[in-house]
Amino acid sequence: MSTKSSFFLFITFCWICTSYAQQHSDIHGRVKNWQANPLAGITVILGDQRASTDSLGGFVFRDVATGIQRLSLSGIGYRLRTEIVNKVANKPLYIEITLSAEDNQIAEVQVVGQSDTERAGKQAIRAVVVDTRAVAEQPVTLAELINRSPGVRIRQSGGLGNAVDVSVNGFQGRAVRYFKDGIPLNYLAGGYGIHNIPVNSLERVEVFKGVLPISLGADALGGAVNLVTKNLPIGDQLDASYEIASFNTHRIAVNASTRKKNGFYTGLEAFYNYSDNNYNAFVMVPDPSTGNPSEQSVELFHNAYRGVYGEAFVGVKDKPWAKDLRFSLAYFDVERQQQHSVLMTSPYGAALAKQSSVIPTLRYVGSFFDDRLTIEQFVVANTLKFNTVDTIQGRYDWFGNFTPTPGSVGESGRPSLSDIRIQQITSRTTASWRWNANNILSANYTMTSSKRTGEDPFGPRFADSDVDVLSARTRFDKQVLGLDWSGKVSDRWSYSLMGKWYHYRSLGTEAWANRPISENEESSVSKSYFGAGGSLKYEWDADRNVRFSTEYAYRIPEIDELFGDAVWTVPNFDLNPERSLNFNLGTRNRFRNLSYEVNTFYRRTKGLILLVPVLAPYAQFQNINNVEGYGVELDLAHPINSFLDVRGNATWQSLRLMGFDLPSDQWRNGTRLQNTPYFFANVGLNAHINGVGKPDNRLDVYLNYNFVREFYLETIPRQAEPGGFLGLSGSASVASDLIIPNQNLLSGGLSYRMKQDKYRISMEVKNMLDARLYDYFRVQRAGRSFHLKLTYQLFNAHEN
Amino acid sequence: MKTRFIFQALAFSLFGFTACSDDAPNPGNETESVYLLQTMSEVTQLKPGFMSSYTEFPSGTFANATQPSAFQGQANEGWRTRNGNVYKMFNASFERGIHKLNISAQGSISYGTSILTGNTLNGSGNFVIENDTKGYYWDGNEPWVIQTFNPELVQKTGKIDVDFETILKRNDSRITFQGIGQHFLAIKGGKLYADVVYSSGTGMARGMFNDVFNDVSIAVIDLATQKYEKTITIPNTQSIAFVNDNEMYSFDTNGDLYILCQGGPGALGGRSKIARIKAAETDIDTSWELKYSDIYSVDTGKFTGLLAKNGKLIVFSNSVPLSLTPNNINTGEIWKYHVVDINSKLITPVEGLELSTNAGGAYAAFEIDGRIILRVNAPSKAGVTGYYELNGTQAKQIIHVSDGHVAGFTKANVQ
Repeated sequence: MSTKSSFFLFITFCWICTSYAQQHSDIHGRVKNWQANPLAGITVILGDQRASTDSLGGFVFRDVATGIQRLSLSGIGYRLRTEIVNKVANKPLYIEITLSAEDNQIAEVQVVGQSDTERAGKQAIRAVVVDTRAVAEQPVTLAELINRSPGVRIRQSGGLGNAVDVSVNGFQGRAVRYFKDGIPLNYLAGGYGIHNIPVNSLERVEVFKGVLPISLGADALGGAVNLVTKNLPIGDQLDASYEIASFNTHRIAVNASTRKKNGFYTGLEAFYNYSDNNYNAFVMVPDPSTGNPSEQSVELFHNAYRGVYGEAFVGVKDKPWAKDLRFSLAYFDVERQQQHSVLMTSPYGAALAKQSSVIPTLRYVGSFFDDRLTIEQFVVANTLKFNTVDTIQGRYDWFGNFTPTPGSVGESGRPSLSDIRIQQITSRTTASWRWNANNILSANYTMTSSKRTGEDPFGPRFADSDVDVLSARTRFDKQVLGLDWSGKVSDRWSYSLMGKWYHYRSLGTEAWANRPISENEESSVSKSYFGAGGSLKYEWDADRNVRFSTEYAYRIPEIDELFGDAVWTVPNFDLNPERSLNFNLGTRNRFRNLSYEVNTFYRRTKGLILLVPVLAPYAQFQNINNVEGYGVELDLAHPINSFLDVRGNATWQSLRLMGFDLPSDQWRNGTRLQNTPYFFANVGLNAHINGVGKPDNRLDVYLNYNFVREFYLETIPRQAEPGGFLGLSGSASVASDLIIPNQNLLSGGLSYRMKQDKYRISMEVKNMLDARLYDYFRVQRAGRSFHLKLTYQLFNAHEN
Repeated sequence: MKTRFIFQALAFSLFGFTACSDDAPNPGNETESVYLLQTMSEVTQLKPGFMSSYTEFPSGTFANATQPSAFQGQANEGWRTRNGNVYKMFNASFERGIHKLNISAQGSISYGTSILTGNTLNGSGNFVIENDTKGYYWDGNEPWVIQTFNPELVQKTGKIDVDFETILKRNDSRITFQGIGQHFLAIKGGKLYADVVYSSGTGMARGMFNDVFNDVSIAVIDLATQKYEKTITIPNTQSIAFVNDNEMYSFDTNGDLYILCQGGPGALGGRSKIARIKAAETDIDTSWELKYSDIYSVDTGKFTGLLAKNGKLIVFSNSVPLSLTPNNINTGEIWKYHVVDINSKLITPVEGLELSTNAGGAYAAFEIDGRIILRVNAPSKAGVTGYYELNGTQAKQIIHVSDGHVAGFTKANVQ
């Protein structure tokens, strides 16, 4: 699709929506939470008409008779509510409703209360809350959804199922940690994460930037992503979806639960993803006769992903001895084909990786002394199984043709038939004591312990022996203890002070294949660190506040960074943690219908860990870079009318290297942090048309545009950077093969809800411009693709 | 072009050699040339950096990355210049092969035509040029094959029609990888010399400091008949040359070929030596060798650079024992130059310069415009990093590069 035709489509889209809006404007309203975050998927009943709220919490009823009307609102996670409204003849009525999960009445359609989602957005430590329920029916991936948030940039190395890296205010890689309901996600490895979870499996996603609350017990340096699973309302609920899309993509998700009035509940969460990921990519193909490469578009032929995750749980809620006691058993199994090398330069046709695990978990929440003391305990013990297969004796070209090379094992340069098992235990204990209505003291202790064993007949051996390096004992234990005092000085001032203690112990064998070593050369590293932070918030009202937070945090080296991978990455026992001091200041406000949020940050990070060559082909993790920088994010939301709204955000950040003392390196002081976008923006346009086809049906149409400014894979001189305001015009003045150019992503779709939201059908076209998109240098993402998603949702509430 | 080729072939024949490890003869008056300087901006896995062109022989202090002609890429470590053409075994995206640089009349630099080779094995793309239209290279995808190519067009043309695998393959359970030409390809007196690797390494470590045998094998192929003649050996050492643009051999002015072996087992050296094939011979000269232990009392290191010129060898070696923890091989400022009188084996340290980091894929000592140039990279010392001119055993700084790590200096024709 050309740019011109896309633009035409865009204009037509706006015109249709605006015209429609002008014809229908009887009773419309908006449902939001306590902090004005829109609530989607809320069922609204007015007399015999039904509607459900859209992604911005909006709803509308047409041709409403004058007089007194009964308005009812219900939704998963919220109690049934009713209110009387008075419709005056010939006057359109606009209603704003703030729902609470706890209160049970609507006073003048304005109720103050808090749901969990509300609380997440209300804390003095700011989190960007991505409301997955608002778009649950859309064939959008979680990565795409988070990518539309201010200050957050998602990078994915290929199609569905491929690794996802979240960049938060320039922090990326391991500096950003991932959680499921507050528990570090490591125990689920590749089975559960942003790369594969269907959006309708989650209640919301919280993205913390800069400062982390102690409830997230991990050593994240600059950001965290917390995946919050669905609430369990009293009643029976079922949410099932199936998506079919280009590249033979199939995604199935089922969430079902039942919760009795006596507190007993049981449920299931499951999803299955499959994609051939056989999109076309431009690669350099050598001519077989001359060896000269030419760029050709080839269909990827060994790029499939298959993943299944299932979790069954049973528990009881609201007992005197337990607010919640849950046992769950999960299983995942994923297999991913490896099509190419890191830079998409060499094709592979047989290499693949597998992961699986059975995961029992136990969670307990207790509340005592009139809810003044709350204790929560989570524990999981499981064994992660990793297999890498690269044993083929031959090579493939980009067209899938195979040439045998007997005696030469593996096509990736890392022959492997590895069977690695990581036994691990994760325990999180939290306790909070409410001194009074305004002060809470909290503690969180998270402990993870892992032990790696394995074998690989093609892997390295200890020198002068046939002992597999992987068979050597390797252990890694990490503990994070956090203490927090949170309180309120008045209705307007709130604060928190926190301290963190980090400790790790690592034990393994320095297994360089390049020197004689023996099996009993075990080494151990054990270190402790302290961090601290705090936050302050002043709020005028629910829509207006100013927030400040700061933290001095550590990111402890991972086991593979300390001990290497037993293949090509060699140990470094002198590795230190990455450490960062960051400050965050933001304000939220509203001007008429325009709500906006401006946030700024400053960070100073030392000892960023990078992989550096030590002796070809070996590399080692070392503390290399120091970074200092600041940034600003702007987030806007504006309902143009009851049918059409627009949201947008833009992020600009200036993250620069510093602290180079060596004369040869001093020129890099002040240069941009490499491989990190410094400007990106999103604009979303959403239209909601009720009564299409039938009175209680609704059509949503949406367009999303994402822009990423050119950035640089490697350091360029500061004087060569683009000029203009904030460096946003022109291009770098240095010739380079390592510049990732400006990128434009336009996607759009529609969803149609029927039978009081029971049935939903959605269609989406991603990358409508069929643009060449890269998240990583040379690794292309898919071109234009088409998606169709069917969703069935059922909820039978059990009346209290 | 043909006339020039014939003239050059005659010239080479008269002087008794057909290839050399340092820079090629002056490209001639009819061709404009520029000087190219290469820096690595940081010593990380992908070796990013800049190449810049200079119309005059550069001198004094300057920054390389901010030159108007600066061109950024990865794998910025070393190159090989032949007849004014500059080739690299890696392109800006770290793909292995034979990549020719284009230099415009305005001095801008870009990658031109290239031959891509297997990208998962070190040494893939190792090449030697016989003349303007014929060269030989090793493709990691076919380890028992010596490929042929046209250096001017940078196009593969075929292969040497010899079944080296049948002739040279050894049946030994310790060998996990074997092939011909991964580290060493040299042409002398109409013969092609190619190392035969017998390695115990796997994956990317194939042929990387893990020779099975303590005698390095070199196959001798007659280029006129394209026939395998024999295999010669350099005894009691390992790890001949290396796997990048620093080919670690050099022809003396009289045509004698000097070959560097890094020793081993492992990357820390030991038994490292320089061997010789005399100009009129095809066997290793058993009467002469230079061992690392001839310079240092303890055999705990290796040579990684050499240049032969007028009966002298300029060698580059570590001055303190090599270590993996802490690692001083690549980033330690411990590498030192010596001048060795070939006949007397009198060894004299070069004075007037500081210790350097290892040269890696770049030449340590080389020749431009008849001047012997030494690379010194000492990032911890102000005003040191750059290039030095050697006269006798005394070196003097002629270029100080203020940004990055110097990784190549050459003279090239413009297109």
